[in-house]
This record gives sequence, C-alpha cells and structure tokens, in this order.
Amino acid sequence: MPRPVPPTDVLLNLHGAPHQTDLVTSALRLATALLDRGARVQIWVCGDATRLTGAALGDTTPRDLSDPGREHPSVARVIRDLITDHPDRLYWYVCRFCADQRGAAEQIPEVRKRSLFVYAEHVRAAGKTLFMGVC
Amino acid sequence: MTDHLLIETGGPQTGPACERFVGDAVRLAGDGHRVVLFLVENGVTAALPGASPAVETLLRDGGELWVDTFSAAQRALPAADLLPACRMVEMDEVAAELLEPRVRAVWH
Repeated sequence: MPRPVPPTDVLLNLHGAPHQTDLVTSALRLATALLDRGARVQIWVCGDATRLTGAALGDTTPRDLSDPGREHPSVARVIRDLITDHPDRLYWYVCRFCADQRGAAEQIPEVRKRSLFVYAEHVRAAGKTLFMGVC
Repeated sequence: MTDHLLIETGGPQTGPACERFVGDAVRLAGDGHRVVLFLVENGVTAALPGASPAVETLLRDGGELWVDTFSAAQRALPAADLLPACRMVEMDEVAAELLEPRVRAVWH
C-alpha cells in the first residue's frame, strides 16, 4: 500500500542535468525562500538530478588542492541539512526508476524513492507545480 | 483575470525560445492580465538595453520586469546597466509571489 503524499504548497520538479546550468542553485534558493515564508514544499527529481542525493557523494566534496585545509559540503549534505532543518515541511522525492538506471539506487536516508507511477498523486497533493528544468 | 509569474532562465543568447517565451508574456499582458517576468540565471541578460525587443514591448504594455539580484551580481551586471524600468529582487519576493493563490507560474 503506497504511503499518502503529505499536502504541500508547492511542488518543484527538477528533471534536468543538475550541473549543466545554475538550475540546482536556483532550486535550492527558491526552496529555502519558500520554507522561510513558512510554506510546505516537496521536490521531485528525475533523470540525472537523482544523483544529487546519492549516498556515494558523502558529506564533503573532493579536497580543493589550492586550499587543502578547508572542507566544502557535498550537494547531498546541503540537501540533507535542508531537509532535517525543516521536518514535516520539506520532502525530497527521488524517481526510483531514474536513480536505478543511473546506478544511484543508494540514496541518503532523508530522501524517499518513489515510483513514477505515483507522480500524479504528488501533483494532486501540491497547491502549485513548477517544472524547473527538462533534459 | 489571472496573475502570471513567468520565469526566464536562458536569455536571448540561447536562441529564439527566450523571445517566444517573453512574447507569451506580452500577449498575456495585452489581454489585461497582470504579468511579472522574472529574469534569473543567464536570463538576466534579457534586461540589458536592446537585448530583447519583446522585453521592451512587455514594459510598454504594462508588464513588470523583475531581475534576480544574485544572478545579476554573479554576471557582473550592475542595476545601472540594465533597463531602468526593471526591479532588482531577491528570491524571497519571488517566493511570496509564487505563494499567492491567484498567481500562475511558469519556469522556462
């Protein structure tokens, strides 16, 4: 029995390649601004965007050789922190098929993998839906 | 009448799609809708004078032009170099607009 989708004010969709443009930066900025206003937000990722929360990314980016003493958070950690900072207000859903197809089946525990077949339920649970990038 | 928030990320240098998208904004404004065109990422270049005839038409027809402060700063575009009618905004204002029930939004 699939779990019901919590109602949210906005559903943001990331369907594009994550690092080709400023798409991820914009999505995280917009999500943060919405959360700061008290909104409930869900983010659904398909395609290569499913790699953003792959467990293999770890907590930090590879070491910067020009500044080896400094650590930078991985995008997975940034997203994980955003989710844990907003319990019951931010939900991050990963398309199971897209993640499996890209060898990114192992995801950080804070996100939820869902079948594309339940995507319509997510649209129905959202006040508004915004598609932010398509491959 | 419905309010519209149209978000352009590519700008004129990505080809005719930007001009066509802004053309949609012009048509909506012409039909009497309130239209906000928000330029973000490389889309901010459409706010340079002469870069997009459709943007200047939109402003003449009563549309609003919002430019993302962060994206413009990343591209070394000070407000003084952009169309005088544009308004520099933070993402917070975009979030507020998106959360208005009467507003429909499209990301391009």
